[in-house]
Amino acid sequence: MSEFALEQPLIKRRYTLEVRQQMAWHWQALILAGSMILGLLISGTILVVAGVPAGELLNEFVILTLFDAQSLSSVLFQASPLIMVGLAGCLAFRAKFWNLGLEGQMIFGAIGATAITMWDIGAPGMRLPLMIAAAMACGLLWAVAPVLLRLKLQVNEIVSTLMLNYIAINVLLHLMYGAWKDPKDAFPYSPKYESFELLPELGNGLSLSIPIAIGIALLVLWFVNISRAGLYLRFVDKSPKVASAVGVPVAKTILMAVLFSGALAGLAGLMVAAGQEGRLTHSFYVGYGFSGILIAFLARNNPIAATFAALLIATLFVAGRSLQVFYQIPFAMVQLIQAVLVICVASSDFFIRHRIRRVQGGD
Amino acid sequence: MNKQNAIQLSSVSKTFDGFKALSDADFTAKWGEVHALLGENGAGKSSLMNIVAGLYGPEGGSLFIDDNPVKLKGPKEAAKLGIGMVHQHFKLVTPFTVAENILLNLGHIQTSGLYRERLRRVSDDIRAMAERIGFEIDPGARIDQLSIAEQQRVEILKVLLAGAKILILDEPTAVLTEEEAENLLTTVQGFAREGAAVILVTHKMNDVLRYADQVTIMRSGRTIKSLKPDSVSVDELVKLTVGESAPEQMAATAKRSPGEPFLKVKGLTSTGGHRALNDLNLTLNKGEIYGIAGVGGNGQSELANALMGIPESVKGTMELIGEGDLADFDAARRRAIGVAAIPADRYGSALAGPLSIADNFALGDIHSGRYGPFWYLKTGAIEADAAEAVRQFDVQGVRSLKQKSALLSGGNAQKLVIAREFSHPPKLVLAHSPSRGLDVKATEAVRERLRAARDNGAAVLLISEDLDEVMAMADRIGVMSAGRIVTEFSQPADRQAIGQAMVNHV
Repeated sequence: MSEFALEQPLIKRRYTLEVRQQMAWHWQALILAGSMILGLLISGTILVVAGVPAGELLNEFVILTLFDAQSLSSVLFQASPLIMVGLAGCLAFRAKFWNLGLEGQMIFGAIGATAITMWDIGAPGMRLPLMIAAAMACGLLWAVAPVLLRLKLQVNEIVSTLMLNYIAINVLLHLMYGAWKDPKDAFPYSPKYESFELLPELGNGLSLSIPIAIGIALLVLWFVNISRAGLYLRFVDKSPKVASAVGVPVAKTILMAVLFSGALAGLAGLMVAAGQEGRLTHSFYVGYGFSGILIAFLARNNPIAATFAALLIATLFVAGRSLQVFYQIPFAMVQLIQAVLVICVASSDFFIRHRIRRVQGGD
Repeated sequence: MNKQNAIQLSSVSKTFDGFKALSDADFTAKWGEVHALLGENGAGKSSLMNIVAGLYGPEGGSLFIDDNPVKLKGPKEAAKLGIGMVHQHFKLVTPFTVAENILLNLGHIQTSGLYRERLRRVSDDIRAMAERIGFEIDPGARIDQLSIAEQQRVEILKVLLAGAKILILDEPTAVLTEEEAENLLTTVQGFAREGAAVILVTHKMNDVLRYADQVTIMRSGRTIKSLKPDSVSVDELVKLTVGESAPEQMAATAKRSPGEPFLKVKGLTSTGGHRALNDLNLTLNKGEIYGIAGVGGNGQSELANALMGIPESVKGTMELIGEGDLADFDAARRRAIGVAAIPADRYGSALAGPLSIADNFALGDIHSGRYGPFWYLKTGAIEADAAEAVRQFDVQGVRSLKQKSALLSGGNAQKLVIAREFSHPPKLVLAHSPSRGLDVKATEAVRERLRAARDNGAAVLLISEDLDEVMAMADRIGVMSAGRIVTEFSQPADRQAIGQAMVNHV
């Protein structure tokens, strides 16, 4: 029959693609690691093309940043707020809530903490705990509206959280150029915090924020793996339709996870203000929200992996600065490298979900 | 080679993650015949047909279509060769209309003109084809407004309009009422008489005996035998499908006296635009199985949803005597009372496929504190209970409690649902088509559980579109039509009279 156009195999072997049911975790980890290495290689190539001598690359990135005490401490210094936003991303994303408002929540956290310092609330000894509480409460509050709108009225949270970022940024600018401007000079930042309003130093340039970050990572790990909420979150994450039918309190679970996420983003804001800058500035937020999403994504919403991904991103930040100084590489290159990593990891997902099988031809 | 062969598969194998779904399976279907592919769940019927439909690539063996060797690169290529498959789980895009879905599938056929123009032409084709084969379908209806039987008709029209000459139907009667099934099978028999090849994947003996010209029997990934159905006895067919130890025919239901009323449904009416439920009243007693029979799409799903607490906008009351209105209870309260729900859509409303067996099981008793307080989940206790339940309810194919529940076959998934729902002795069992798509052994196991619950004093509501099931199980039978119970029968009931009641009230 002529309508049956038959395919005669030109080559005897071909490849088919199959959806995989399940993959052992160590293979997943291997594929993930492979894709990260590929991403770093591509990034390295770009840097070499941009003018960094190939031989110096390893030196700059690995040796000087990780094996030099001062650089290492600046990596850790940089890492804690990144760990916080990364964990915040993990929590919200596990509840299938695309919280793109990490930046806004972070800004509000910092504003909350600074309000405590501006109005001198509480005795000096109580100041820092109050600031931490205020930061978490404000970050959480900045997430309340989007999550309620989503749960009650099905308002898309991607739009609402993203738009709230702009509001937060403009509120911050309003404060920096207005009521909270440092009276000592005309620059747009708040007056310096008092010494008891700063996260205490632990020596070696490390502040209290690293232990706090690690503690919170363990707390999130407990939340998603050990508590009942974690079980509920798995249902909400993997089968939202089934979840409500089998009795998972879906709305409560989402609410809890998102508010937790907002509180952690708020805490990240405090870590920058009271741990790094020592005051509220108008520019600290740059890129943190995006990095949080990226870290959660790289870590596949796993809190421990997020901690390491945050360290990797912090290394990139620090190395990026030295590249800027020594080779006049623009700092935007760091964001480019982040993006390359994301694309590589996103693509690796394909190999985790599918199996490529060689099929024997031959008749 | 015989020139009449429509499809020929020889020594085909297929492995999924180490599990051998097919090993050296052979299959031949001729033009002009209805060829049944008979076997229990997990025998490999669907896998074999998915290879013919180009969805899976075989690992070995060869495939001939119309006596020509072919290598299918995908379903599109299979469609080009005139192979059309209607899957057990329909592949329709729900928010779109019938015509849009069918147009979407015609991608490989040259169509020109503006989209609206093409849509209009396809709609005309659908009407013409529907009329020819005796289907009633509105091309402009949205898929999600159609009943399962209607969606199936859309699937059949879809493959026919795409030019299918080899029609594969995967468990087509599983979701249909007796009459719908008869109509469908008579229709497809007509296709065969006109020269097409029809392959009927099924585990129902009756379908095979009444409609098939030839039957191939599969068991654990192998094709056991191919023969003419009228050349053997039913007993022999059963023996070939299930192996030596065939399940016993169940004993006739003894007549029993009903207990006290436990659930009173009064004036249940849908509040949406479509009156799926229309003033439904029924009383369910303790210690009885109340079967709801009826043609699909008469409000059964809506009733099941309302009772099981799956969102459904209804008014009226569902009073649980001594407890209150079912609609006011949250999951925790339902569990505490002992309400067990076995929904029809296993992976849509009972099991989270991507989650582990243990996770799925845990929800059965999560609220009582047995698995720890809110801040701490006792994984050990969950796994111990789950392991015990898996053993007790004979859930097979469990390699680890951490494996995804989606890896279980239909029957075993259903057993897992029941194991979870019965982890406390249930007082009220709500079961909707509990044996849909299950093989003989699994069906009997499920029914045995329902009977045992009844014998322990539970009130059991069985909603099923399979009249055989209702007849075999229920102590009382209510016939549902147009959203209400129109007649009730007590056992022993006259099957003929029930059938009449099902179709006469519209």
